[in-house]
Amino acid sequence: MNPSVWRVVAILGVGVILLALSLVFFTGEDLAHVNLVKDTFLTGFSQVQGFVARLGASTAGFFQGIFDFRNLQEENKELRKELAERENLRHQILELQKENYRLRGMLDFKERTEYELLPAEVIARDPSNWFETITVNRGALHGVKKNMPVITSQGLVGNILKVSRTSSRVLLLTDSRRAVSALVMRSREPGDVGIVEGSSGESASLRMTNLPPEANIQPGDTVISSGLGGIFPKGLVIGTVLETGLDQYGLLQQAVVLPAVNFNRLEEVFIVMDFPHENEEQEAEGHENEG
Amino acid sequence: MSVLGNKLPFKAFFVLFILICFTLIIEGSFFSFIFARSMVPDLLLIIVVCLAFLWGEKKGIVLGLICGFLQDLFYGPAIGFFSLAKMISAYFSGLSSREIYKDQIFGPMLTVFLATFVHEFIVYFLVELFWGNKFSFFFALDQIFIPRALYHLFLTLMIYPLLYRAEQKSYFYPLSGK
Repeated sequence: MNPSVWRVVAILGVGVILLALSLVFFTGEDLAHVNLVKDTFLTGFSQVQGFVARLGASTAGFFQGIFDFRNLQEENKELRKELAERENLRHQILELQKENYRLRGMLDFKERTEYELLPAEVIARDPSNWFETITVNRGALHGVKKNMPVITSQGLVGNILKVSRTSSRVLLLTDSRRAVSALVMRSREPGDVGIVEGSSGESASLRMTNLPPEANIQPGDTVISSGLGGIFPKGLVIGTVLETGLDQYGLLQQAVVLPAVNFNRLEEVFIVMDFPHENEEQEAEGHENEG
Repeated sequence: MSVLGNKLPFKAFFVLFILICFTLIIEGSFFSFIFARSMVPDLLLIIVVCLAFLWGEKKGIVLGLICGFLQDLFYGPAIGFFSLAKMISAYFSGLSSREIYKDQIFGPMLTVFLATFVHEFIVYFLVELFWGNKFSFFFALDQIFIPRALYHLFLTLMIYPLLYRAEQKSYFYPLSGK
């Protein structure tokens, strides 16, 4: 046969095969060997498509970025502002969570205590180094009176020093003008009564003095108010004994006491409103015990 | 600012009163909550000493008395406690200004440094007299007087130029006498 005829036949043959494949391909016939060709073809093609598409997208993004630069700047500014607001909100939420935790503790304490308590917020502290007082937002208008005990769920804070119409000043236990009659909770021996006062130096500890040499006191003991001073109820926690020893003359015992209350972190306190009546009874009991 | 406005004395009183009250509130209700006790500055003392340095000892005494009185009302244990301390500190500050240039910062810095010692010593002495201190004198000198005086010295760097500028712009006229 003439070679030119062979060429025409070959071209026609290839054309027919391609046509057939195309028909199968586009009509979606489920033939395994055809699908293999189709998959191979599409896989290779999709790789190229993917590459080109990514290239196109990035090129478009690049040009879009150039065109949208101003918009991006504004958007960035907006986002930064939004981020700052969200950060601020997050801090507020954290602060509220802490406050919520504290207030829950206070509510729980108020429900289980026997005293009538008035919650108060600390609004100021004495900024000088010489006096240990705080100001709370409850005053004569709320029924607050001088010398009323002030406590938290952790323990004794101090007593009301001055009362104005809507605020009061509280003298803290750590002030040099304040001394509290106290005893050890473990022994509760009436003879082992000492005086707790602000410690010298910058440390936040208290000092328990005037303890008899035979007093049963040791590190780890909890110190509570004795109720003998006439201002504080008996049994309020003052702190924990850190160390004990004899005083400078070697005649009496003394102890370093870590306060139960963190005086540097006071934010809310309770004022004991109904103590004076119980105080009289307890004083009478104290005298009876002594007798 | 108008000339007429400068001549109204109540305006100067108003500016001064707001400045003193703001300082007292910020000391007790802001700094006291964010700084440790020993790091809470006595901004009122710095202001009193700087103004007494600018105005002289006579006006300084009155200013010290008023500021100390307000501090006694807000935080003091008794009326007259900080009044006396601030009055005497302001008096010495006013006296010192006779020999020192007012337009240079070193004079008021040194004056505030020394006035802090005077003020703290008077308060220490009064506490010791009435109730007894929980600090020994040398402990107080080492841990309170010196750190506080140094702290105030550096704060004067920021506060004095503001007060000097306010003085130059006659915000305190006629109290300042200019």
